[in-house]
Amino acid sequence: MKPIEPSRKPFSTWFSADNIFTGLITAFLLVILVFFLLYPVVVICRLSFLKDGFFTLQNYLEYFSEPRIFRSFYNSMFVSLVTMVITTVLAFLFAYGLTRTTLPGKGFFYMVSTLPLIAPTIIQALALILLFGRNGVITRYLLDTSWNIYGATGIIVGEILYCFPNALFILYTTLSAVDTRLDEAAQSLGASALKTFFKVTLPSAKYGIASAAALTFNLTITDFGIPVVIGGDYSVLATEIVNKVFGMQRFDLGATISVILLIPSITAFAINYYLTRKSYAMISGQARPFIQPSRPLKKWAFTAYSVFICSCILLVFVTVFLGSFVKTWPYDFSLTLKHFDFPSLGASVPIWTAFWNRVLEPGSLRDMIAIKYAPIWTSLLVSLVVAVVGASMTLVAAYIIEKKKPRGEQLLYALSVLPAAIPGVVLGLGYVLAFNKPYFLIYGTIWIIIINVVIANFTLGVLSGTANLKQIDKSVEEAAVSLGAGPVTTFTKIVFPLSKVAFLSTTTFFFMRAMTTISAVLFLVSAQIKLAAIEIIFLDVDGRTASANAMCTVVVLIVGIFLLIMRLTTGSSGLSGMSSSK
Amino acid sequence: MGRDLKLENLTKRYGRLTAVDHVNLEIHEGEFICFLGPSGCGKTTVLRMITGFETVTEGKIIFDGRVINDLLPKKREFGIVFQSYALFPNMTVEENIAFGLKMRKMPKKVIAERVDVMLDLIGLSGWRKLYPAQLSGGQQQRVALVRALAPDPQVLLLDEPLSALDAKIRLRLRAEIKRLQQELKKTMIHVTHDQEEALSIADRVVVMEGGQFRQVGRPIEIYKNPSCRFVADFVGTSNFFEGRRTDDIVDLGKRKIKIAQNGSGINEAVSLSIRPEHVEVFKKGEPSAVDEPLNLVPGRIEVVVFQGAAVRLLIEIDGDEIIADINEKEFEQRSLKRGNEIFLYFPPEAFLVFAEGEGKT
Repeated sequence: MKPIEPSRKPFSTWFSADNIFTGLITAFLLVILVFFLLYPVVVICRLSFLKDGFFTLQNYLEYFSEPRIFRSFYNSMFVSLVTMVITTVLAFLFAYGLTRTTLPGKGFFYMVSTLPLIAPTIIQALALILLFGRNGVITRYLLDTSWNIYGATGIIVGEILYCFPNALFILYTTLSAVDTRLDEAAQSLGASALKTFFKVTLPSAKYGIASAAALTFNLTITDFGIPVVIGGDYSVLATEIVNKVFGMQRFDLGATISVILLIPSITAFAINYYLTRKSYAMISGQARPFIQPSRPLKKWAFTAYSVFICSCILLVFVTVFLGSFVKTWPYDFSLTLKHFDFPSLGASVPIWTAFWNRVLEPGSLRDMIAIKYAPIWTSLLVSLVVAVVGASMTLVAAYIIEKKKPRGEQLLYALSVLPAAIPGVVLGLGYVLAFNKPYFLIYGTIWIIIINVVIANFTLGVLSGTANLKQIDKSVEEAAVSLGAGPVTTFTKIVFPLSKVAFLSTTTFFFMRAMTTISAVLFLVSAQIKLAAIEIIFLDVDGRTASANAMCTVVVLIVGIFLLIMRLTTGSSGLSGMSSSK
Repeated sequence: MGRDLKLENLTKRYGRLTAVDHVNLEIHEGEFICFLGPSGCGKTTVLRMITGFETVTEGKIIFDGRVINDLLPKKREFGIVFQSYALFPNMTVEENIAFGLKMRKMPKKVIAERVDVMLDLIGLSGWRKLYPAQLSGGQQQRVALVRALAPDPQVLLLDEPLSALDAKIRLRLRAEIKRLQQELKKTMIHVTHDQEEALSIADRVVVMEGGQFRQVGRPIEIYKNPSCRFVADFVGTSNFFEGRRTDDIVDLGKRKIKIAQNGSGINEAVSLSIRPEHVEVFKKGEPSAVDEPLNLVPGRIEVVVFQGAAVRLLIEIDGDEIIADINEKEFEQRSLKRGNEIFLYFPPEAFLVFAEGEGKT
């Protein structure tokens, strides 16, 4: 008896609903990433190499021939390298204390050390100025010295405080994953504690150390917030780009410096990315978290060290908080709320204006909330949209990459990882050059800002998504399919519920980034659309330092409240896994 | 004929690597088939092609008279049980079992009844509200089993369902699967690398190596009458000798052995295999009246492994190690010890003879 052949030909399997679905989503994500990530970068490169339609190196010659401008390159490298070394050493010791000793209060120390993630990078600079600036409470009051922290020193100290949790996260993961039995084996074979540290512990963490260093370098060289506030005359690449564009309207030079900045930043990112993978590949499933009780001296030394680091971090927050509530720092410490009465900052997005007009009576209160606080409401709106859109998009992208593996998956992955390598200032400038066209309708609206922030932070969302999805056994999905579930049901009933924790922490991450980011959106704000984090800079530049502190305090409070709400409603997610470490 | 499953020249290639190489098999409705082989032999690939999660490179899978090569997995209505259980961690035991029924849009009442029946079947009715993480491995796999059975699949496919479990639970669950199969009379295809499991559970065993079926047969045939050296080696324990046969005498180099079969050629290369339980052990000085003095070989007990009812002896002869199993009572009575000088006797008719080309002569 001859079996019945199906009437349709083999391509019917390929042509199934599942594949069409996957294909459409892949295409959609690719188009978004190419248009909003690749295209702006290409525009920047083109502008830097072209003059009147011809290829030229003139921009680069101009850059390198003018010593004052060239200095910014040297400065950037210097600041980033010094920050890299110091941060890595400090974070390694801290991570070692948390993972390899029995010091008390580990949870508290870890939590405090992640605090810098919830604030705009500018907070470190504001605090340092309040403490060590021209009118710093320590420099002017306690020591009465004319020395102040502006310049390279300020940038380095600020960047160390800002990069610390990012480096710590990688080193903490590395050290807690490396099998401590290796240490025990070495000691049982007669190695001294010091020898064990240098011959076993340190080498086994080498990839983690190098990747933390590369990440710190990348974060520092791409940062704009700290150098612009505390750098003074000390110009770095990121501030130089803004200077050329805003100060001189020289977009071509801005583009040129952008390309120059891209080189070390992409290199550092690539090193970090490569080594992180290598480091995680070395992690054995055998790692055992049991630690022998540490000797008292070691224990107290690491406790003292952790207390010191955490105090520094807390001091930053406390200083800025205080700075926003006292009358005239550092002369008159009586408390006041007047710095929270921000200067009239202009228009708000219509949806908020309508909202406040509806809920509040006309009067000074409405003016204050609807107009003076406009940037805060805009930031909040942008952040909420970014949180939902960003977390959803990256989860879907991660799902496609990790589980569906369609054609073009590798390109999708490469484009998803790329954003972390591109400095925010560069991407922002790319947006201005690429999309500032009359026919491009969303330019000048909050949508371009939303897209920019989502794209700029795409990497972490996708990486944390894929890491989470890797843990979902492939058979679980196959089980669902074999029981009759289609692609949509499988995703909504199985994959999404199992990714909920990762999804929520990505949501929190996108929200924090949107509230605190400065460099990426600097070029995209306007008289109509203002963002709280950017206003901090403008207030500071205007000399309204106390109001800048107050705005910073508001941003930190909003992020803090958001974290608290997330924690109370979902019971999940501390700050772990949310640093920009890849 | 009922709803049989037929594999015709089924082949799977990954680039230049052939994972499954033109295999043929007919599985009858209600039959319990076991694919047995070492890892990488292609057994799981065959199973995954039957499930539809792996595409077919060449050949046909025919079910109930229809070619199903291109049918989507969910349209095949085959139940699958995975090695890792693959229970949905976000659903209770009850919800897991109901999942397939809900996908088929059955009425709520029918689903509830069916879930009850399934829970009774595995004796976990009191655990229905628990989540998979709250169950032991054995319980999880039992839930996975009835989750796959709940929608009444045409065929149940089991992909190494017991390998992740402890030895004791594995034995219990093995018996339970067998019981379920006999009760439900469902066609089941089971993949395993554990020969004992395959022999004890299946109606027919398919021994695979290198993407090919080496032997298909009832467990007892496979054990007693392996078709080639690989099967003799993989299924059960065997002692092997390599030598050259002339008539019924095999020259092992160091000594000659008599076997029960005559060969056709002169000086033909063969390998001999003999099961440990067929090797007889005599203490020196014990009466050893044997039929074939040529096959009586002196040796020394090197290692004694107590295995419960049997005792396994590793015995050195001519610098080779021979495994002999004797029952525990006999071992006690004759007070055998490590270091004893002994004689081994290989009954000529106990030898299986394989020609160099692996096939049996």
